[in-house]
Amino acid sequence: MLIPKIKTTAMYTQPQLAIIGLCVSMYAIADTVPLNIPASVDTSRWDCDYCTFEQGLSGELELGIGYVSDPSYKFGEYNSLYEDGAYAVANGTARYRDDADYFNLDALDLGLENRWIEAEGGRQGVYNLYLNYDGISRAISDSTMTPYLGDGSNNLTLPGDWVPSNNTAGMTQLDASLHDANLKTLRKRVGYGLSFIPAAQWEAAIDVRHEFREGQQSISGAFLYDGAELVKPVDYVTDEVQATVKYTAPKWQSVLSYYVSLFNNANASLTWENAFDPITPGADAGQMALSPDNQFHQIMLSSGYQFSDATSLSGDIAIGRMEQDEDLLQASINPNLDVALPRTSAQARIDTLTANLKLDTALSDKTRLSAAYRYNDRDNKTPSDVFEWVITDTVISPDPRYNLPYSFIDQIATLDVAYNINRKTRFSAGFENAIKRRTNQQVDKTTENTLWGKFDVRTSNSVDIDLRAAHGQRDGSGYHPVAEIEPPENPLMRKYNLADRTRDTGSINVTLYLHERISINLGGEFAMDDYSDSVIGLTSSEETLLNADFSMLLTEVTSLSAYVSWQDIQSEQAGSDTGTDPDWFASNDDTVGSFGIGLKHQLIENKLDVGVDYYLLQSTGQISIVTGTENSQFPDLETDLRTLKLYGDYKLKDNLTLHAEFWNNHYTSSNWMFDGVDPATIPNVLSFGEQSPSYNVNVGIVSARYSF
Amino acid sequence: MKIIDRHFRLILPLLQPCLLSLVYSVAVQAATPALENTAQTLTIAQSSDTDEPADDSEKSSLPGLGTDVKFSKKGADTCLKCHDEDSAYPVLDIFKTKHGVKADPRTPMATLQCETCHGPGVKGLLFMEEAKKKGGHVGKVRPGEKRPPILNFGVKSDEPVAEQNRMCLACHKGDQHIGWQGSAHDKGDVACANCHVIHTQRDPVMDRTLQSEVCYSCHQKQRTDFLKTSVHPVRFGQINCTDCHSIHGSNTRAMLVRPTLNQTCYTCHADKRGPFLWAHAPASEDCTLCHTPHGSIHPALLKKRAPLLCQQCHSQLGHPSVGYTPAGLPGGSGTPSGFMLAGSCLNCHSQVHGSNHPSGVKLMR
Repeated sequence: MLIPKIKTTAMYTQPQLAIIGLCVSMYAIADTVPLNIPASVDTSRWDCDYCTFEQGLSGELELGIGYVSDPSYKFGEYNSLYEDGAYAVANGTARYRDDADYFNLDALDLGLENRWIEAEGGRQGVYNLYLNYDGISRAISDSTMTPYLGDGSNNLTLPGDWVPSNNTAGMTQLDASLHDANLKTLRKRVGYGLSFIPAAQWEAAIDVRHEFREGQQSISGAFLYDGAELVKPVDYVTDEVQATVKYTAPKWQSVLSYYVSLFNNANASLTWENAFDPITPGADAGQMALSPDNQFHQIMLSSGYQFSDATSLSGDIAIGRMEQDEDLLQASINPNLDVALPRTSAQARIDTLTANLKLDTALSDKTRLSAAYRYNDRDNKTPSDVFEWVITDTVISPDPRYNLPYSFIDQIATLDVAYNINRKTRFSAGFENAIKRRTNQQVDKTTENTLWGKFDVRTSNSVDIDLRAAHGQRDGSGYHPVAEIEPPENPLMRKYNLADRTRDTGSINVTLYLHERISINLGGEFAMDDYSDSVIGLTSSEETLLNADFSMLLTEVTSLSAYVSWQDIQSEQAGSDTGTDPDWFASNDDTVGSFGIGLKHQLIENKLDVGVDYYLLQSTGQISIVTGTENSQFPDLETDLRTLKLYGDYKLKDNLTLHAEFWNNHYTSSNWMFDGVDPATIPNVLSFGEQSPSYNVNVGIVSARYSF
Repeated sequence: MKIIDRHFRLILPLLQPCLLSLVYSVAVQAATPALENTAQTLTIAQSSDTDEPADDSEKSSLPGLGTDVKFSKKGADTCLKCHDEDSAYPVLDIFKTKHGVKADPRTPMATLQCETCHGPGVKGLLFMEEAKKKGGHVGKVRPGEKRPPILNFGVKSDEPVAEQNRMCLACHKGDQHIGWQGSAHDKGDVACANCHVIHTQRDPVMDRTLQSEVCYSCHQKQRTDFLKTSVHPVRFGQINCTDCHSIHGSNTRAMLVRPTLNQTCYTCHADKRGPFLWAHAPASEDCTLCHTPHGSIHPALLKKRAPLLCQQCHSQLGHPSVGYTPAGLPGGSGTPSGFMLAGSCLNCHSQVHGSNHPSGVKLMR
């Protein structure tokens, strides 16, 4: 139950009444093998007289109106309800069946940007066609302000009367120039495809998705230490095509696919005027590169073979290539800085190869063994050249730099055994060896060995207990500086993905079926990473999670469920102001508490159903730093989310239901990165002045559902 | 390649309808023969049982069958006399699902009807100890006597999970089920019916607005994660667990839909894919070095916030190495610090996923 979708329509609150089932994946039609019916079975009298095979047209339609009390980008972040006022509730589904021929039409949230609609049809077991549209909006911030003109374009200018200064306080036209620069994006996805069975045991499919993404996000641009938050234009098109051939026999199954993803950005760069006094002549505008057009191609073969009921072998191999060869921008738009480039386009290319093999076998009735090997090679073929470069359109760097193509190879081997001590108790244990090789980084090779064990106990039909523990040790081949990286890191720094590490994890999960109407689940997880060999950098991290779930069928017409969870994430790290031994130590401590409860009740049999859901989540992030003898505590980072939802359905006729719904949504937050930071608060950063969001939004919905 | 790319982009919109038309016409032509072929397979399978099997690898049979089982005389009619809409276990919605389409010869209703999945009604499947001892589910029972079981599925079933699943896997072997055996869900004794509801028009786990609720019944941590302030929009029904996870088994960590974690992320975040002229090593290696995938109390699903996040790796003498204190907050004893406030490190180094600018070595362009 719980955690009602913050959606716009009532149907989400009562799954059993949902009129639109939005299938996640309906297109696979031939993952099955035909059954071999024993010839001795006499089915001559299996007339299926009571079978109610579906034929003809059916469906449901929901129309109504919703109302949002207050505007809030945070409340409407992903549900399109970021503006106040009324909106149309329009959902529907239609189904047509004629034996194996079928057609489905589903629509949801037609009155909102997040609308979704799909048409699908075909002959079951023969072919399937579909066409859909999916809108995904994201309202990012409605408290952002900027003096720049040209929001949404790739050229940001300052007002003609702008007064630059060496700090934000001296920008005397700032207040007069500020305007809202709401940040928001919308993805509009169009998908279509076809799958069909050309012959028994074969299926061919093609799936296409075009995504248009448009809107505005934030980015920052700087001139040495003078930065400004800027509006970045988002005008992306991503095309994805996957062509697949599948073969499915009882013992042997294979899938061969070709996948291509083409990304296109209408804006290669973003240019903006310098709001600060130019540090050097000509540094009155800057230009940065935006995400480059790129493409990814991949051919993949997956196969599985069942030697017997007890033993199977499966694996896959995928060969791919990422490419990006956009023309390089000039090293600087500062006319006083002339720098030659070693090449004119990126020529970036990465070849990928992944291969996996997995063997699973039951050695006996009691013992099962699994072995797996995974290989992942990301071979960066981008040429490495010496680039003379310009520091933030301000000055030519005295230290030309090589671009570093990073490559990785992962190899992971696992072996695990499960032994059924009896029908109700199982012990499992396993070992994993993971080797990672990197180029152009401080550690060439890390090796991590992990040993784990697990007990699954079903003490009776009413109690399940799972216990798991694991211990891992990661060691590197040696930490060394990378000559091309200047200035060098503190020699005592150990980056946490490369550092030696001891990892211990454990979990317990207990499920109690106290009664056929009552179930309780209690769980706990613990994980600890110890980087004791790291002097500078992350030195430890720890996570604890506790949760309890309860569900109960109070009566035949009333159900109750509830949960509570608590999570704590801590980490410690050390740094050095002087670039030598550690002289400051910081700790992060995030705690998250969550609670939810839901009640459903049939007030009048077959006439009136009502329900209520409530949930809350409170989080606190505490950061402290010890410098010398001083222990400084940052203000708590807090969020408090509460949602109450009431809903009811009244059946006027067998085919007509009235629905009403009310939500109260309350959210407060505090974030010292934003709170009290106006555009001119930071002397060297012209910020958006974004503030921590808070809201109290009520939503009401009234609708009618008609089925036919 | 750029030229090819440009040409491809130009012809793609034209190509796709043509391609679809072509494939559609092939499909329509293939439709009738395909149906006949499938039907023939069944016929052959039936008749070939009386002869020598042509090729064992091309046949599949129901698990748990043998000579010591017995099917009902009237098939589904036997079951539906009791299991109508008013019964404690109504099943008629099966006819609103793909399993209930008799015209598709691969379905249960086209083969052994209810007993395709639930096993023989008169004498139970070989692994059903109780049914073997007490007799089948179909038949007369004395008043007050408990009816012997038939194979049932899900959390409340007394049958071993492996046997329940074998029944489903007898048909559902291909495509995403290839990696099921030995997958995390398989080893974790997850029954197919723990997630799937078969006798309903809309299976919640196949419904984009309800799927996550099904997953949360075991994955409680993710339920809390998706309530946090910075999330992927699963709670809002905009994306689903199965957009990222191949829940029937894959060979990646966390059973992802693409061969690697980053490739999975790039399916929605192709703008971060590059490859960039100036790469940021951890971004190339593993998105989860900085981000947490489900939800965070820090912006942009970060594991912690800048500057401390960045200072876990960057320690060069100068501003990266400084331990910043609350003195740099508004109202603090020092000057409001651009190294902590607003975008923190990203106030200047905004291209953290990589830069394609020739002067982007410091990820500032």
